[in-house]
Amino acid sequence: MSEVQLSVQGVTKRFGGLVAVNDVSFDVKQGSLISLIGPNGAGKTTLFNILTGQLIPSAGKVVFEGADIGALPPNDRAQLGFGRTFQISQTLTSLTALENAMIGAFLRSKSISVAAEVAYLALEKVGLGRRDNIRAGHLTLGERRRLEVARALAMQPRVLLLDEVMAGLNQSEVNGIVDLVLALSQAGHTIIVIEHNLKVVRTFSQRVLVLNRGVILAQGTADEVLGNADVIDAYVGKSKT
Amino acid sequence: MEQFSNILTLGLLLGGIYALVSVGLNLIFGVIRIINFAQGEFVMLGMYGAYACYSFLGIDPYVALFLVVPVLGLLGMAVYWFIMRPLQNESMMQVFASFGLLLVLQNAVLGITGGLTYSVNTPLSNITYGLGSIQISLSRLIVLIAAAVVALVLGVFLTRTTFGQAIRAVAQDRKGAQLMGINVERTFMWSFAIGTGLAGLAGVLLTPIFTMSPQIGGNFIMAAFAVVVLGGLGSVLGAFIGGFVVGLTEAIGGYYVDPVLKNAILFSVFIVVLLVKPSGLLGHAGAEEVGLREQH
Amino acid sequence: MSNTDPNSQGNDPVNKDKNIPPWKRVRTFKSEAPGLAAVVAVLGLFIFLLADDPFGVNMLAVALLFAGLAVSWNIVGGLGGQFSMAHSVFFAVGAYTAANLFLHFQISPWIALLPAAVLSAAIACLISWPVFRLKGPFFAIATMAFTEVALALAMHFTSITGGARGLSVPFKAGLENMIFRQRWSYAVLMLGYCAFSLIVMAVITRSRLGYYLQAVRDNESAALASGISVIRTKLAGMAISAALTGMGGVIFVMYVRVVDPASLLSLFDIGVKIALIALIGGIGTIYGPLLGALLIVPLDLWLRAFIGGKLPGGNLLVLGIILILFSLFLKQGIHGAIKSTWTFLMRRKL
Repeated sequence: MSEVQLSVQGVTKRFGGLVAVNDVSFDVKQGSLISLIGPNGAGKTTLFNILTGQLIPSAGKVVFEGADIGALPPNDRAQLGFGRTFQISQTLTSLTALENAMIGAFLRSKSISVAAEVAYLALEKVGLGRRDNIRAGHLTLGERRRLEVARALAMQPRVLLLDEVMAGLNQSEVNGIVDLVLALSQAGHTIIVIEHNLKVVRTFSQRVLVLNRGVILAQGTADEVLGNADVIDAYVGKSKT
Repeated sequence: MEQFSNILTLGLLLGGIYALVSVGLNLIFGVIRIINFAQGEFVMLGMYGAYACYSFLGIDPYVALFLVVPVLGLLGMAVYWFIMRPLQNESMMQVFASFGLLLVLQNAVLGITGGLTYSVNTPLSNITYGLGSIQISLSRLIVLIAAAVVALVLGVFLTRTTFGQAIRAVAQDRKGAQLMGINVERTFMWSFAIGTGLAGLAGVLLTPIFTMSPQIGGNFIMAAFAVVVLGGLGSVLGAFIGGFVVGLTEAIGGYYVDPVLKNAILFSVFIVVLLVKPSGLLGHAGAEEVGLREQH
Repeated sequence: MSNTDPNSQGNDPVNKDKNIPPWKRVRTFKSEAPGLAAVVAVLGLFIFLLADDPFGVNMLAVALLFAGLAVSWNIVGGLGGQFSMAHSVFFAVGAYTAANLFLHFQISPWIALLPAAVLSAAIACLISWPVFRLKGPFFAIATMAFTEVALALAMHFTSITGGARGLSVPFKAGLENMIFRQRWSYAVLMLGYCAFSLIVMAVITRSRLGYYLQAVRDNESAALASGISVIRTKLAGMAISAALTGMGGVIFVMYVRVVDPASLLSLFDIGVKIALIALIGGIGTIYGPLLGALLIVPLDLWLRAFIGGKLPGGNLLVLGIILILFSLFLKQGIHGAIKSTWTFLMRRKL
């Protein structure tokens, strides 16, 4: 249960002259809930893209369950068990909520009826059971974010990566998703979230990584990290004396 | 060797034709990224317009252009406003709508003229110059010169004038341009109109060279797209050079290989360019993404 | 969550059935089968009714052929979102395969259906694989360029295509030759082709491939993140679509018995027309292209007969206007218009 499932080793990503991610290393234990925080432009989404295969690192390795997956394209990584949501909600607007979730479910089963059942259960888990027949384009933003999570869940993922899944939601919607993430974590899923909402980060608490300008600034529990002077400076800027 | 220089000359003259025909499409597709498959029909309308002026008003085609070009510009404005503007972000619908426009324009002219083909014979159109063993017609030379002049003027217009820069601004970033106070809709409309006007200009100048038929637009449209893509989307110099690349390919390919295959060669090259460097010979990398990224 | 969108008021009231669990309400091919049978039966009835009217039954035959072709195109064009303008190439490949096998080796066109389908699929994969990464309009333009190349090659390789003069198939009537004396027999043949295309389309739409095609069409990066191999999905759709189109080419050549490169490969007569019919009928739907063909083909023939004399090209003029209007106002085609009207009326009732 506390095996290292995902190991990021010295990952660097350069875009021309810009170093977006700089020699980042950390291990993720199976079943843990990790929050990745940092100011805008710190490289969090870039790091996610490297983990899920949308980007190939300029240097370093990504090792998942013992295998170096650095060269695998996103769909192969999904096959291995990476499920992710995107910062800008990427639901398939012309399909219904159920069909969206089925897209994820089809990864594990070719049959429509099996996929539909798995998809529906995933929808129920995120609280969208009654909206299964609605076109994704007609859902609210909060529902679309939950739908993306459902699609990822339907893939029966081994690692869930949630990129700012609370962005743009009202308080009750945020609470709903927080409860969902905690429930999933309790159930044993390995989850990495990118979050800006520090209250949420405190609730998740377990382990927080702070990224700033592509470098890991601090690691630890929420209290340790959020009290760290460097972290505060990174967010707020150097205080005048 | 002499044969080769003849082919070269032929290729250059052809290149002038292609460059002139494509300059309007370069503005419409290359710069403001609107798919207009009916562009060839505006060339055709330019030819018929010149013919109409000649046979009903007795005006020489080269003079008629002052009437025909603005009229086709106005037609372009209307086409943009009523057909293309509502389809701004839907490039595939633009493909269909412009095909529909192509059918309408082609067959309207077909219906009006009853399928007769026309040619215009003016004193000027018969002048030729001897160069080595071949005769070069004045009208083809005029086309070549016109292509160069138009390319020069357009290039200066796009880079040095405020309106030209506004056009390039809205093409790259609609929201940003709006925030700068540019009226996006009207800028697009005027660009489209200039594009169709230029197509009409090409048509008028081609009147002494080709026998016109309502379907003649079809001869130019694919080649024009090839020129625009080869030369570099939106690059005026690129489209100019692209015209000559196409013209020379056609002349050389047509002579040394089966003339029937010249299209095969041209479009194979076109496809290769699309795959290897879609931004074309003179475009900067990523140019093909501009305007096709989601604009909210 | 306040939301005034009537669509978000919960499940569609018309389809609510508390006894069936939601996931079982998802449509499968089995649920489409009765509809397919009914449509084929109705069309068969039309053939029966029109059997004595040579003009009418001929029109129906051509409409059904184009319906089959448009349904095939719709697999990649509508479902997959790849607007291929190169389908006339696959059509021509099928036609020339059948013609050559028949003329030189006396092989029955029924048997030729298989190599035609395979060859069309192979060529489709070969030419579309490199251009799949091009975005929308560039993909369309590239496929048009392929058509131009194919046209030039067809004009050049006269041993296979007969060059500009074309190939003609002698009239040797017989079922084994797919050549019939009665016009209505052709209509039945075309109906068979159309039905086959519809079945394939229905199977794909109600299968994982169909869902994957739509996912790739709507959002490639979401599709990739969901484990879909975008390239394999696009290739599968294109191969099946091309195979069906090639088979249509076989039937076409035995029907008209004279084919030349210009008529097969001209962008407008086949390539764009197929896409146009699919769009007007209802892109992405199973029956849409059938509706489109049943409207456009008779309209085109009728216009040609009645206006064509006085106003040459009048039929195409009308077609062009229809195309413009549909692209602007009826993007979901006739199928979409019928569906919206139905939903509107249903809500009114409740």
